[in-house]
Amino acid sequence: MAANTLRLYLTCIRNTLEAAMCLQNFPCQEVERHNKPEVELKTSPELLLNSVIICRNEAERCLIETSINSLRISLKVKQADELENILTKKFLRFLSMRAEAFQVLRRKPVQGYDISFLVTNYHCEEMQKHKLIDFIVQFMEDIDKEISELKLSVNTRGRLVATEFLKQFI
Amino acid sequence: MAAVSVHKFSDSITCHAWSPDQSMIALCPNNSEVHIYRLSEEEKWERTHVLQKHDQIVSGIDWSSRSNKIVTVSHDRNSYVWNHETTEWVPTLVILRLNRAALCVQWSPKENKFAVGSGAKTVCVCYYEQENNWWVSKLIRKRHDSSVTSVAWHPNNIFLATTSTDGKCRVFSTFIKGVDTRDAGAGAGAPSDSKFGEQIIQLDLSFCWAFGVKWSPSGNTLAYVGHNSMIYFVDEVGPSPSAQTVAFRDLPLRDVLYISERVIIGVGFDCNPMVFVADERGLWGFLRFLGERKAAASSAKSGSQFSEAFGKFYGQSKYGISNDSDQPSRLRGGIHENCINCIVALSKLGDSTVTRFSTSGLDGRVVIWDLQNQEDLSEYL
Repeated sequence: MAANTLRLYLTCIRNTLEAAMCLQNFPCQEVERHNKPEVELKTSPELLLNSVIICRNEAERCLIETSINSLRISLKVKQADELENILTKKFLRFLSMRAEAFQVLRRKPVQGYDISFLVTNYHCEEMQKHKLIDFIVQFMEDIDKEISELKLSVNTRGRLVATEFLKQFI
Repeated sequence: MAAVSVHKFSDSITCHAWSPDQSMIALCPNNSEVHIYRLSEEEKWERTHVLQKHDQIVSGIDWSSRSNKIVTVSHDRNSYVWNHETTEWVPTLVILRLNRAALCVQWSPKENKFAVGSGAKTVCVCYYEQENNWWVSKLIRKRHDSSVTSVAWHPNNIFLATTSTDGKCRVFSTFIKGVDTRDAGAGAGAPSDSKFGEQIIQLDLSFCWAFGVKWSPSGNTLAYVGHNSMIYFVDEVGPSPSAQTVAFRDLPLRDVLYISERVIIGVGFDCNPMVFVADERGLWGFLRFLGERKAAASSAKSGSQFSEAFGKFYGQSKYGISNDSDQPSRLRGGIHENCINCIVALSKLGDSTVTRFSTSGLDGRVVIWDLQNQEDLSEYL
């Protein structure tokens, strides 16, 4: 059942992205000779579309903000306990620090979210749109897996270390 | 299939235009240059000229069919008119008096003026001043609340339709004393007393950005698209217009082209031209996609006879033109693999019927389409 709802959540995000990722080259209206992602600047309200929030539950949600030449996707990853909270924070920080390698990753997440992507019209020109969407959906799929794996390994390691440590008292 | 030739010129094309005899194509490969290609005797495209004058991406090219001049506009706020002299293209700078990027350009039907839409929320109408030997720009400053995304000239050479990212479509009079004569706009309901920059009508149909405005060949109907996957048709542009909106289920369009009074082709984010037709009562509706869909694309490699038969099965008279091996996992489109952003009619001089047109997109391909053999469309042409 859980896997099924995840699939529905991801399908919903995929379809929304499909419709939202209709970007075009658009120069800045406010500053001469500039061309910037409008979704970041938000200087001209008419160039922004309504943002969409897709929630799976209270803990997991996805915010999609669109403008004429850019698209911002922000994710809130499930964090059941403190350990997961720390792991998510550290892991996503690790990824954000290497944002260049991912091209569409934003260096800082949007307020209230764990990780953000910024897709501009230049990305759509260079890359195939459906591959980009695949990447983001795949990322969401993997991030949960990755974090539960990390949690497991931390727990296993903790147990091992504790066992080793406590051996000396026997 | 309706596509007669496909050629990949670069990684990405922002816009293109054809020479009057259609032996040459001018295109912008998504940078500050304009490349001119000529079709050689061996049916190969070879680059003959590179026009380098702009220093930012070229957003609009138009090639006048009678005077053989190219006008280019760019995000660097400048515009050049290129004149072919012996072997070279000689640029003339046009002072647009813009302080933001220029987004689109079009020659007027008489080719004595051209219009430039800009990110400065203005439209420039430029005309040639003989005594000073330069192009003068007159601005329509008011009215637009956002960037002007496209401009279209009415066949009477006076009316100019614009679309803007504020979702409105407007029609202006661009009568310039000394350039236009009063009787020029006779017929087609043109009021002869309209001043320059006077707004004839404002169409408030879309709630989203509007793009790709075009007049029908007679100038009676006007069509434009909205980013909310809608296409708008306006009849009897004037004091009492009547409008039709057609919503479709696919991704939004970027541009449209009238083939006849009753057929319009829309291109956009779906990577496949869409055909809209009007029935006898003048009601517009979506007919079909022009290119074959992805399901058919995968089987195009098989033998020609089979694919001919296959084509019949899909209701197309001809089928199986060079489909360069594509990935099977492709999601959208047929021949174009990315958003199509430019559609240009290929019409012979003096011949008003258009059956051929070309499309270019962000995938760097220019595709020529022919509607001659499309049986289901022949009644509308």
